[in-house]
Amino acid sequence: MPKNKVVPIEEAMSRIKSGMSIAIGGFIGQGDPLTLIDHLKTMDVGDLTIYENDAGFRDRGTVELVKQGKVKKIVASHIGTTPEIGKAMNEGRLEVEPTPQGTLAEMMRSGGAGLGGFLTPTGIGTVAEEGKQIVELEGRKYILVPSVRCDVALIRAHAGDTWGNLIYRGTSRNFNVPAATCADYVVAEVENLYTMGELDPNAIHTSGIFVDAVVRANIDYCVIREEVFNGQ
Amino acid sequence: MASDAKKVIAARAARELEDGQIINLGIGLPTLIANYVPEGIDVVIQTENGAVGVGPAPDPGCEDRDRANAGNQPITLIPGGSYFDSATSFGMIRGGHIDATFLGTLQVDEQGNIANWIVPGKMLAGMGGAMDLITGAKVVYIVSEHCSKDGASKLMKQCTFPLTGAEEADVVITERALFRRYPERGWVLEEIAAGYTLDDIAACTDMAYTVADDVKFDAYGAD
Repeated sequence: MPKNKVVPIEEAMSRIKSGMSIAIGGFIGQGDPLTLIDHLKTMDVGDLTIYENDAGFRDRGTVELVKQGKVKKIVASHIGTTPEIGKAMNEGRLEVEPTPQGTLAEMMRSGGAGLGGFLTPTGIGTVAEEGKQIVELEGRKYILVPSVRCDVALIRAHAGDTWGNLIYRGTSRNFNVPAATCADYVVAEVENLYTMGELDPNAIHTSGIFVDAVVRANIDYCVIREEVFNGQ
Repeated sequence: MASDAKKVIAARAARELEDGQIINLGIGLPTLIANYVPEGIDVVIQTENGAVGVGPAPDPGCEDRDRANAGNQPITLIPGGSYFDSATSFGMIRGGHIDATFLGTLQVDEQGNIANWIVPGKMLAGMGGAMDLITGAKVVYIVSEHCSKDGASKLMKQCTFPLTGAEEADVVITERALFRRYPERGWVLEEIAAGYTLDDIAACTDMAYTVADDVKFDAYGAD
């Protein structure tokens, strides 16, 4: 019988120490692991390096950790939805490494798949080339991008069983899938928790093999999403 | 509300669509193109945050918290649509499975270079998925107002902001004119919108172009 990985949030998050790298799932609020981020806000850690598509939406999400001064660097594709990030960067409080969205997703996926890196045509002739090796194959130029492995990943799923098999819903799947694979310790918050055997094995998006700790999501996520939709 | 110029651009861009195409629409103006798809043309819309088969916006009160586009606006999904993760989504995009992408821009230039993700020292939005879309989509449409807010031409000799893509723009559609870029000829002015003359376009366009022999006047924007 696979192990029951459901633990109190304090125990799951105690793995996070200052100076660590963290991959975070979600896409400007869609599927962001807000329960885990909220807990991280209460912890005495700093100098974090975050790999995430963005820093959340407006004043909610990873941007809150930046405001607290916990984040040293963020590797992201888009920070336009959280004005505080640009401000923190301009004031020298935060290092931002803009990365094309597909490149960031593939850095996580290939890191989780045991590959050292990959060749992408995205960003040839742009600043995305800077500091990177260019490889030419059959007449086309590619950027050699190293994969990423993180200390911890924080993700959110619609449903999960006690071993950490996960099912996402709608466009909340996004970066949660690759982020789940690329870290030494993966914490999943789940909206609906099931016992083993209750979820259809054909429908699992993330195998429990990738997940180390399962925590119940306790944020009223519906309310947050409605506020976002109504605000635009 | 979208300005008249934006509506004119979106409506003309929609006439480029071909039946059966898979397309990706950028955030902002490009999203409006979905409102003008001509009758008899069926296109399938991919959104890079992880869905294909994006349908009309939901009625108020019917939004689903887990159904949104890359601009975080609520969406519906048409029958046959599906969801996927970001790595899969960008596999589709880089892998050449998207027929056309429509993107706004800050600058576009003579070589087909596109700059739309950063104003150095002022704004850093990030490139999001634009670099991948520009690289991977078969046809790259730039849909944008002809001039920036300060009146300068966005159609430049050479981009001054950091590039999003090098030599990738295929078509530029503004509220004033439509240009296509050909391998040997470069940019060709093919259509002029209602209310503008050849001289008007020349006066507000900094990039070099030639005028098509059969350039169309009053080609769009009349209604």
